[in-house]
Amino acid sequence: MTCSGTCGYANEYADFMDLSRLGAFVTKSITLEERPGNNPTRIVETRAGMLNAIGLANVGLKRFLEEKVPRLRQMPCPVIVNVAGHSYDDYTQTCAAMNGLDVVAAVELNVSCPNVKDGLTFGTHPARLRELTAEVKKVLPNKPLIVKLSPNVEDITQTARAAVDGGADILSLVNTFTAMAIDIEKRRPRLANVTGGLSGPAIKPIAVHLVSRVYRSVAKHAGVPIIGMGGIQYWQDAVEFILAGATGIGIGTALFVDPATPNKIVDGLTAYLERHKIDRLTDLVGALELPGDEPKKTPYP
Amino acid sequence: MSSSRDQFVCQVIANVPLCREHFKLVVRTRQFPPTFPGQFVQIACRPVDPQADTAQHELTWDDNALPRVSDPELAQRSTLLRRPFSLAGRRDTADGVELDIIHRVVGVGTAWLAELKTGDPISLIGPLGNRFRLPAEDGVAILVGGGVGIPPMIYLGSQLAGRKAVAFSGALTRDLLPLQITNAAPPADAVSASPLYNVEPFASFGIPTVISTDDGSYGYRGFITQALEKYLDRSFTTPHARSRAIVYTCGPEPMMKRVAEIAHARDIECQVAVERAMACGMGTCQSCCIRVKKPDPAAPPLPGQDWCYRLACTDGPVFKSTELLW
Repeated sequence: MTCSGTCGYANEYADFMDLSRLGAFVTKSITLEERPGNNPTRIVETRAGMLNAIGLANVGLKRFLEEKVPRLRQMPCPVIVNVAGHSYDDYTQTCAAMNGLDVVAAVELNVSCPNVKDGLTFGTHPARLRELTAEVKKVLPNKPLIVKLSPNVEDITQTARAAVDGGADILSLVNTFTAMAIDIEKRRPRLANVTGGLSGPAIKPIAVHLVSRVYRSVAKHAGVPIIGMGGIQYWQDAVEFILAGATGIGIGTALFVDPATPNKIVDGLTAYLERHKIDRLTDLVGALELPGDEPKKTPYP
Repeated sequence: MSSSRDQFVCQVIANVPLCREHFKLVVRTRQFPPTFPGQFVQIACRPVDPQADTAQHELTWDDNALPRVSDPELAQRSTLLRRPFSLAGRRDTADGVELDIIHRVVGVGTAWLAELKTGDPISLIGPLGNRFRLPAEDGVAILVGGGVGIPPMIYLGSQLAGRKAVAFSGALTRDLLPLQITNAAPPADAVSASPLYNVEPFASFGIPTVISTDDGSYGYRGFITQALEKYLDRSFTTPHARSRAIVYTCGPEPMMKRVAEIAHARDIECQVAVERAMACGMGTCQSCCIRVKKPDPAAPPLPGQDWCYRLACTDGPVFKSTELLW
């Protein structure tokens, strides 16, 4: 899959990758109202990573339905729409509009936004996240609901549990890490927004750890699949996430470097399965053996 | 010939210093889509990645040695994102398409580019962005480049096909000028800023050039904008002459703003190639935004607002100076 915000609205990468080989395409975040986004500078490269503060620049629900949905109908793969909002009403109105759209295979909630009413982020408060998920689920009975978890929390298993209790069908993790870069000559933040979200290879080991924790503590028992994401660049990275418990894999920042990354990862995974004589990728999901685990029928020869 | 944009692994066929900190990198690829002046490519300033292939990746373990960990992530500081470079030229030859990229060493990525040897592979994505709109057949092109804004002016100059043109190239000092000054003519008159046929490659395109340096080490002492102003007031004295001219500019933003003001004050069209930090170059990351005026404030995007953001990568990098809010 692609990760929201790194692949445009629809077929922007059609010249550079085979979209038909994607498990799913995930749109950039759609909000109820159109948003111009933050002032520039909006991105900074950090070592092995990228810091962004785009500010949810998007065309808004109305223009999305008018301009982007016709293009999404031409996509040769399933389409997941990412929805963001700044109030419960924002989320429910936008998601309600997705419920009846045949082109939408699922909805992913971006919960890393502050609520305009009190400034608290939806995705970092378990009770609020449970409530938001439940509210959205009510208006979205026809579509699987994916909740994209923020890593900027003390204990991600609490927010994962809250999302599952609220009715999330799938969890995706992780969103970007709140971070900062400083221009040492000007003594100012390098992003106009001061802070931004860190992505790219720099965050991969942390993301693998968080997927592993959520899988073992919440998702496995609840039977909720995980879409793992965070710094995946090569097929080897994808294997790590799958072993940690991810059923699906999202590619984000790596698309900027090489838009054909998802195709190459599929090829790499296929070769890995053949080499280890494994029939189905799902046999590897969560196959990580930790000290103290019961020895499994792992694919080791 | 491939008709669409794509990712290409090219071969370096030359990488020569042009002056202090500036290099001309020439790469060859068997095929490349049509390109136009103003367009750019996104270069991966790191070794072409063997792991990106579908083949399984294994460390080689030589006899009597430890396995070599050569992943740049572990071994050295390296770039992650690609870097955008405007095209400075293109030649279609029997051996393939040659692309010229002129860059100045300013950071990790360009320092890596400067070390490339003939035969090295390099990955680029392109061609990206829009293009300069050429003047009418009987029009005049005025190419105003500053520092690393000069390369797209070279490509534009090579494509003017017999149209009248004059180039203005400015730098801090003579040895930061990525152009060759031939000794066929004396230095440009420091007072009148007359264009001379002694600057390559512009002279070989039949384009005379005015050079300015901030420190007066060559040509006009001062800003290129001052030399431009003097020239325009001397050579474009009638509304008819001005209406057939187009000023093209690329360089530091304060320079381009002033060039736009100078052109605007004389009713001369001005096209600006902007530079922005960008991650993708393909219209997805939304980071290279620039404020532009909306012709109709009531129309989308953002009805009711008289400005909006456009992307330098897909809406630009070339904008009409009159639409930019900078």
